[in-house]
Amino acid sequence: MGKTRYDWFGKGSAGVLCGLGLAVAVSGLFAWLGPGGLYAPNKFQLNMWLMSPIWLGVISFCFLFRSGLRAWLWLGGANALAFVGLYACRHFLS
Amino acid sequence: MRTEVIRIYKTVHTWAGILTGLVLFIAFYAGAITVFKEPLERWIAPPNHSIRAPLTQMHELITQTLSARPDAGKEFTLHLGDEEHVPARLTWQKKTDGDVFWSTAIAQDGSLQIARIHPSGLARFVDMIHRTGGIPGNSEIGEHFMGVVAMLYGVALISGLIVLLPSLARNFLALRLGTKLKRIWLDAHNLIGVASFPFHLVMALSAVVFAFHDHLYDIQDAVVYAGKLKPIMKADSPFSAVKQDPQPAAMLPPDMLLARVKSLSPAFEPVMMQYRDAGTRGASVRVSGNDPRYMLRGKGFLVMSPVSGEILNTDYFPGRQDLWNAPVSAIFALHFASFGGDTVRWCYFFLGLAGAFLFYSGNRLWIETRSRDGRDKSAVQRRSTRFMAALTVGVCFGCISGISLTIVAGKWLHGHVADVDAWHKGIYYAVFLGSIAWAFLRDSQKAAVELLFLAAATTAAIPLTTLLAWVLPSLGMWVNDSPAAIGVDVVALAGALALLRMMRYRARNNVGNRYPLPVGEGWGEGI
Repeated sequence: MGKTRYDWFGKGSAGVLCGLGLAVAVSGLFAWLGPGGLYAPNKFQLNMWLMSPIWLGVISFCFLFRSGLRAWLWLGGANALAFVGLYACRHFLS
Repeated sequence: MRTEVIRIYKTVHTWAGILTGLVLFIAFYAGAITVFKEPLERWIAPPNHSIRAPLTQMHELITQTLSARPDAGKEFTLHLGDEEHVPARLTWQKKTDGDVFWSTAIAQDGSLQIARIHPSGLARFVDMIHRTGGIPGNSEIGEHFMGVVAMLYGVALISGLIVLLPSLARNFLALRLGTKLKRIWLDAHNLIGVASFPFHLVMALSAVVFAFHDHLYDIQDAVVYAGKLKPIMKADSPFSAVKQDPQPAAMLPPDMLLARVKSLSPAFEPVMMQYRDAGTRGASVRVSGNDPRYMLRGKGFLVMSPVSGEILNTDYFPGRQDLWNAPVSAIFALHFASFGGDTVRWCYFFLGLAGAFLFYSGNRLWIETRSRDGRDKSAVQRRSTRFMAALTVGVCFGCISGISLTIVAGKWLHGHVADVDAWHKGIYYAVFLGSIAWAFLRDSQKAAVELLFLAAATTAAIPLTTLLAWVLPSLGMWVNDSPAAIGVDVVALAGALALLRMMRYRARNNVGNRYPLPVGEGWGEGI
C-alpha cells in the first residue's frame, strides 16, 4: 500500500475544478433524465440546488485520494463520463 | 480509518477553520439575531400616529390614493397587520428616491393623508452583517466573499467529522472539565459540532447557493439547457399567467379578495398584499402570509387578479407547493427558520449562538494548542499565536458590542440626526474596529476581560434604554410594550448577564493562571 500524500495543490485543484464540472454534469443528467425531463414545471430550481452538495462533497472528500494525480485521473474520468452522457442527452433528447 | 487520512483531514480542518472561523462567528451571531428580525423591528419602530384604516375601508383607501397619486398604481403594498413596525396601511416606494417610502392613510374627517416615512434600517443592517460577514460597501462583493467562506466552512464540517469519527463513540459526550484547558475546549467544540452537525450542513449548502446562484444558473444555462433556461424560468414564474393590459378596469375590494384566499386555506394568515399595475385589466396582487405548518421561503404567497378575483398561481402557497417546489422551499425554510413558528425560531436562535460559540471555541483551541505546544517555540509561531489571540478577542467581542450599541443608538439618535441608518453603520464599524485595535494594542488577555465588559455593558444598555425611556419620557424616547418588543429587552438582559459571567470567569482564570506564561506573552488562558 502506497502512502497517502498531502499534495495540497493537486488534490485541492482536482476537488474544486472537477467538483464543479461533476456538479454541472450530474445535475444536468438529472435535469434531462430525472422525472418529468427538462421541461417539468418548477424543476429548474432543484436542478441548480443539486450542484451545491455535489460540489462541496467532492471538495471535501478529494483529500481521500492517495495523490493529486490519482484525484485528477479519477475525478477527470468521472467528469468525462458524465459529460458524454450529458451531451448525448442534449443531442438525442432535445 | 487510516491514521494518515486522519492526519491529512486534521490539517484540512485546521486551515479551513482558522481561515473562516471569525467571519462565521459574525455571520452566526448576527444570524441568530436576524431570526428575530421582526421583534427587533418592533422594538425600534418609533411611535406611529398614522391611522390604520380598518380592513373594510381599504378599498376606499386604494381608490382615493390612486386618484390622488396615479404613480402609486404601478406597485404598492397593503399592510394587513397592526404591529408597531407596520408603517401604514398603504405604502409605495418611489424607485428614483432610493429607500424613501411614501404612505397613505385616511384621516378621521375622511380626507386622504400622504406622508413620507423612513422606516428604521436597523434590522436590515443586522441582516446585512449576517449575509456579508460585515464586509462594507457593495453587498454583492460581501455575499460572494461569504460564498467562498461557506465553501470552506462546508469543508471544515466534513473534515471535522472525519477526524472525529474513529473516536466518536468515546469522545462525543465526554466533557472533561477540570482537566487541561485544551481538553475542555476540544470536548466542548466536538460536542457542539457533532450535536448541531445537520444544522451546520444545511447552512453551508444553502449559503453556497445563496451566494452563487446566479453564476450556477448561468453555467447550467450554457452547459445543460443549451441557452434555453430563460424561457423555462419565465414559464415557471408565479406571475407567468399575468398578462399586461393597460385598459382601465375596476378592482374588487381587498376584503373580498382575502375572503377567497381564506376559502382556499383557512389556516393561512395573510400579512400583506402587493399590487402591480393596479386599476388596469392586467393588474395582479401577491398575497403573502404565514402558515407555520408548512416549510416556506420566508413567507408563502399566491398571485391573484384583483379585477376578476381569480387565483392565478399557488406554486408558493403553503400546502400547494408541488413535487419540485416543496423540497427547494424546505431548504430555504431550514435556513431561515420559516416553519414551525416561534418554537423553531427559538431553536434556531440558540443553534445560531451555539454556532458562534463553535467557531470561537475552534479558534481558542487553535491558540491553546500552539501556546501549550512545547515543540513550537519559534518566534514566528509565537507571533502568529498572539496575532490570532488578539484578532479572535477583538472580532468576536467587538461584533457583539458593535451590534448592541448600534441597536441602542437607534433610539437615542432618533430625531437628533438626519440619517439614522448611516449612524447605525458608522457606530457598528467604529466599535468593531476599535475593539480589534484595542485587542492588538493591549495584552489580549486583559483586552478580553475589558471587551467582554464592553459587550455586557452595551448589551445591558438595550433594556436600560427602554427603562429610561419609560421612567423619563422627557428624553423623547419611546417604549413599545408588545410582548415581542419587550422580549428583545428580556433577551438582551439575559445576554448581558451571560457576558458578565464570561467576563468574571475569564478574569478569574487570568489571575489564577494554572499554566503561567512569561509576562507579556499572555495569549492562552481562561475562557
